[in-house]
Amino acid sequence: MNTKLQVLVIDDDAVVGRSFDRVLSDKGYQVSTALSGEEAMETIRETDFDVVFTDIKMPGMDGLEVAERIKARCPWTPVVVITGYGTPDNEAQASVLGVSGFVHKPLTPEIIESVTLKAVKEAEVILEAAEPCETQEVIAKTVSKAGVHSKAGLIAKNVGLFFAAPFVALAYVIALPFVGFYMFAKLGREAYVKKHLSK
Amino acid sequence: MSTIPPTQAQQNAWKKSPDSELYINPLPVRIWHWLNAVGFVALILTGIQIRYANMFNVLSFETAIKTHNWVAFTVIANYFVWLGFYLFSDRITVYHPELNPRKFFDKAFKQFMYYSYGIFKGEPSPHKVLAYDKFNPMQSITYQIVMLLVVPVQFITGIMMWDIKRFEGPIAMLGGIHTVDTVHVLIFIFFVSFTLVHAYMGALGHTPSAHFKEMFTGYEEAEEKSDQ
Repeated sequence: MNTKLQVLVIDDDAVVGRSFDRVLSDKGYQVSTALSGEEAMETIRETDFDVVFTDIKMPGMDGLEVAERIKARCPWTPVVVITGYGTPDNEAQASVLGVSGFVHKPLTPEIIESVTLKAVKEAEVILEAAEPCETQEVIAKTVSKAGVHSKAGLIAKNVGLFFAAPFVALAYVIALPFVGFYMFAKLGREAYVKKHLSK
Repeated sequence: MSTIPPTQAQQNAWKKSPDSELYINPLPVRIWHWLNAVGFVALILTGIQIRYANMFNVLSFETAIKTHNWVAFTVIANYFVWLGFYLFSDRITVYHPELNPRKFFDKAFKQFMYYSYGIFKGEPSPHKVLAYDKFNPMQSITYQIVMLLVVPVQFITGIMMWDIKRFEGPIAMLGGIHTVDTVHVLIFIFFVSFTLVHAYMGALGHTPSAHFKEMFTGYEEAEEKSDQ
């Protein structure tokens, strides 16, 4: 049985994968590399990875799509986005997808090691408690460990949401036609401005 | 970022699913859903028999009432299973409201544009189904209103009419049996419409049967992305 932690590095630049391998292979990690998102999805089907690094800009499937697919398939697997082209938009989109973090190029051995360790530790906190998570107690403990709230807090929040949700939803339903009208007007104005500016 | 730990069964199901499929409806959810579906249809049919006893004679009035009551208590018990998970775990977050109005309206508008226009042009849905985020914003508010307001009111009015004598105090407080009965019937009409719309919306997957299959197998087939 392979006891090494499995790391997958997805980058169309083979140098990046080799850098991770050089830094991590003698520190208890088994590094696999993929040069494209498509190749990575094939690899993921065969191996359970403890952490995945993906470049954001790649030909074909980009890093965000890779992250989305991995999180949909294995929500507990930490995905760290490597970016040399980081824009706030990309990072915001990646955050929504639930990525564990970002690491910016150029990468140093210290950065590679520390970010890998951090991602693996965070995933362990979630998964350690997830193994026997048939009971509500364990679920609450896990949520608490992740720093969200205690069991009492969780129940209080859920009770609050139970009573608030239908009224929040009703308020949205009532406001929706007005907000929708405003959004239509905004769309129309943008289209008008675009049309006249292009002339 | 999701902090909800997956169960061993979920991990196994996710791992074995091909890349084009997402495991979004675990077995307990599917059993709960179909028990509800059968229960609601039975309640609607027996409700019609009770209300229009002079027009239909499929069941005797007494049998219709007995069946209606037994099915109703089963559906109520089923609801409390769901409520237990809602209140005591963080597993049913899809029924939590979006408390950021800007975010909600932005997503809801895109979804509305899709339902009213994009869907007829074959555009992909703006909502990407994920394991812990399976409802689009419009589904989400509809289910919140249904599960957290309409269904409980229907249960309460139904229980009151099940034993009028015992609940005569609360019934009087609500304006008498006619008020309670009217509310129950109006919600019944809502549920008939909801069931039809629910089935219609269920047929709007990338194939007409995709969402129905998903509720039997648990797997949602991922839509192919268009090159845009």
